[in-house]
Amino acid sequence: MQIQPVLAALRRHRLATLLIAMEIALACAVLCNACFLVVQRWKLIQTNSGVDESSLAVLTVNGFEPNQVTDLNARMLNGLRALPGMQSVSLINQVPFGPQVGAAGISLDQGSFTNTIGVVDFVLAGPGTFQALGLKLVEGSLPSADDYLLATNLAPPDARVLVSRALADHAWPGQSPLGKEFWCDKLHFRVIGVVDHLARAHPHDWGAQSVEWTVFTPAQPGGSLAGTYLLRASPDELPRVLRAARDAVPKIAPDVVLDQENSQTIDDLRTDYFKSDRIMIDLLIGVIVTMLGVTALGIVGLASFWVQQRRRQIGIRRAIGATRGDILRYFQTENFLIVTFGIVLGMALAYALNLLLMTHYELPRLPLYYLPIGALVLWGLGQLAVLGPALRAAAVPPVVATRSV
Amino acid sequence: MFDYYLRLALRRCRQNVPMVLLVVLTMAVGIAACMTAMTIFRALSGAPLPGVSPYLYVATMDGREAVDKDNPDYQRPDSLLMLADAKALVDAHRAAQQVAVAQSLASLGNADGKRSEQAYGLMAYGPALQVFGVPLRYGRPWTEAEQSANAPVVVIDTHVAQKLFGIDNAVGRSVTLGQRSFRVIGVFAPWSPRMQIFNLGQRAGNVMGQDENFFVPAQASLDAGVGPFTSGECGKGAPVVSFQSASVAQCRWIEAWVRLDTPAQVGDYGRFLAGYAHVQHDAGRFVYPPQARLYGTQAWMTLNRVVPDDVHLNLMLAGGFLLLCLVNVAGLLAARFLRRQGDVAIRRALGASRRDVFLQHLVETGLLGLIGGVLALPLTWLGLWIVRMQPVSYADAARFSPGVFAILFALSVAVGLLVGVLPAWRMCRQPPALQIKLA
Repeated sequence: MQIQPVLAALRRHRLATLLIAMEIALACAVLCNACFLVVQRWKLIQTNSGVDESSLAVLTVNGFEPNQVTDLNARMLNGLRALPGMQSVSLINQVPFGPQVGAAGISLDQGSFTNTIGVVDFVLAGPGTFQALGLKLVEGSLPSADDYLLATNLAPPDARVLVSRALADHAWPGQSPLGKEFWCDKLHFRVIGVVDHLARAHPHDWGAQSVEWTVFTPAQPGGSLAGTYLLRASPDELPRVLRAARDAVPKIAPDVVLDQENSQTIDDLRTDYFKSDRIMIDLLIGVIVTMLGVTALGIVGLASFWVQQRRRQIGIRRAIGATRGDILRYFQTENFLIVTFGIVLGMALAYALNLLLMTHYELPRLPLYYLPIGALVLWGLGQLAVLGPALRAAAVPPVVATRSV
Repeated sequence: MFDYYLRLALRRCRQNVPMVLLVVLTMAVGIAACMTAMTIFRALSGAPLPGVSPYLYVATMDGREAVDKDNPDYQRPDSLLMLADAKALVDAHRAAQQVAVAQSLASLGNADGKRSEQAYGLMAYGPALQVFGVPLRYGRPWTEAEQSANAPVVVIDTHVAQKLFGIDNAVGRSVTLGQRSFRVIGVFAPWSPRMQIFNLGQRAGNVMGQDENFFVPAQASLDAGVGPFTSGECGKGAPVVSFQSASVAQCRWIEAWVRLDTPAQVGDYGRFLAGYAHVQHDAGRFVYPPQARLYGTQAWMTLNRVVPDDVHLNLMLAGGFLLLCLVNVAGLLAARFLRRQGDVAIRRALGASRRDVFLQHLVETGLLGLIGGVLALPLTWLGLWIVRMQPVSYADAARFSPGVFAILFALSVAVGLLVGVLPAWRMCRQPPALQIKLA
């Protein structure tokens, strides 16, 4: 197939060619960036919380006085454990995707605001919570019974804790975190173990790097560890068990108030936490599909017009020996050239758009491999769109050439 | 001439219906997408209290007395103050108008306790109704004398008045709030800021303004056992306060808002505020450097990200989409017009000027744009309906309004003309002679 005659023909239709190429360029820019946004949001939604989400639920009550907590905890633990299907009930201050309770800044030495590590989530947990969450210990040891100390504030004053691997790598890169110390104002902590994954309550409020900056802090029931209970049941029984637990609260502790919004399965909390991201993904996919459809329709419309306009020329070419395949390939080549021109423009545009988005949103740079993928998609779309009109062109009989010349 | 061109355009639209349909539908989808995003954006931009909020400023400072339960770092400006500080700022009378307010949620009952209504309202120290421009329907706001005497007076809106008493003018009636009976001294028309502006630090995720159903003097409300909606931040050693507690003496829970009309006033007040905070710091009350600053309402909302990023992103996406549709339509129109080179050449040979040819084609594309706009109307309505069905914080902003209709009308005509300019210009440059030969 010779390109020269195709280019010569295109030069006579500069305006239409330019418009189609611009359309492809715009589509390329929006397509690459929209796909990139979808992938970013998708990664966000896939955040690993590190806990057995499908088996866990949380139950929160409030409206009690500080002097009632020991009694309340005992009644709630016993009452809830008695429910059929309940595998375990333990105390926790916050769960992934639930309300954030224990976020605070920590530093490597006492009282220093220069040697800071960052803002971490303190997950205060009673006996049995580690097993109930299904956390994986990768280094060190689990807290012993004496490590569960009373916390009246954020954490016990001198606690032996587990940190997530992500936090350990950030705070002590290249070193074993075991035995290391850190401070939160006057509270002192010593690391005795490392857990594989444990996400903070609001994983994405603190930046992508610190999703798992958590400190698993063993604490004795009572003090500030009261009112939030972690329920574990088999995944298929969990909704029923949670309903039973919510219904049982007025009987177990008549004077407290059940926090409806924060008494849910972790799965539901997760869905709720990511709902806006999910909607954005749907919207972006909708935009991508509509945009591709509009672009394809535009190509079909213009190609049809060109075929109609050139019926006579096609007839002449057929009459002097061009095969149907030649005609088909002519239109396909023409489309390929226009789309290629558009893609070259579109790549520059895609990068510009990405830079613009980067200045306004916390978005990384567009990875280079999006561009060839986008190009392939658009080439495919162009060929698919032009196929119909090109086939119609190929079907033009040579006899047309003899009419009304 | 115009109506002749219009008749011509209509006749031509009937000639090639599939092509016209494609052009018009593409435009309609683009316009509808853009209008949906723009409606939401419009509802969430602009002043939260039109005519008032551009002059309102909120005071922020690190007013912590001892290390609080949260991070010792002062991560971002904090507007919550202790009542004592808020009172001091209001009583200083250094701004044109000043008030301290906190969001409250309380149950209001009528005298015999038979009817009650759970309502949001503002606890205030100072002339809240005047500062925020709340439209008073009956009665009057409270006086300074009533406030300093902790008189149990309350101003309610017509909604609560209807619920409790079945009438709008409830002035003089008694309302039970907490453990005390309050006298209604004023009734205002339903009022809410267009967007959330109060206590932004603790109400992340709320975009739309809260309907405020009552205003009550802060001290009288606390005396009756009704506290703020959230107790704010309480220092070390403070009793554990729960949600809606009235024992907030050691907490920072109230915000100071001031009205400043000129940049000079803003500068003066900023210096006064910094001075006040420094005195407190030097006296040892504020533990940390106070970093006191004034924020205008808009800057304060931006800082606290009241309007989600997604709204801006949607607008950009929709804009890009509309642009794509426009280029597409321009391409189709160019093809459509170029088919009629022969007709144009004859018109040109018969004496039509380039201007005539250009206008004729512009009228045609304008008409197509208008049809696109008409089709976009139900599509926009559908788009807004879909957004309203979503569980997003700004769902309530997706409402059709006459303003939106006007914009849509203007946009569709503008779009029609814009896409037509290039093809029409191309047409009017046809030399007549050559075209006649071809025809």
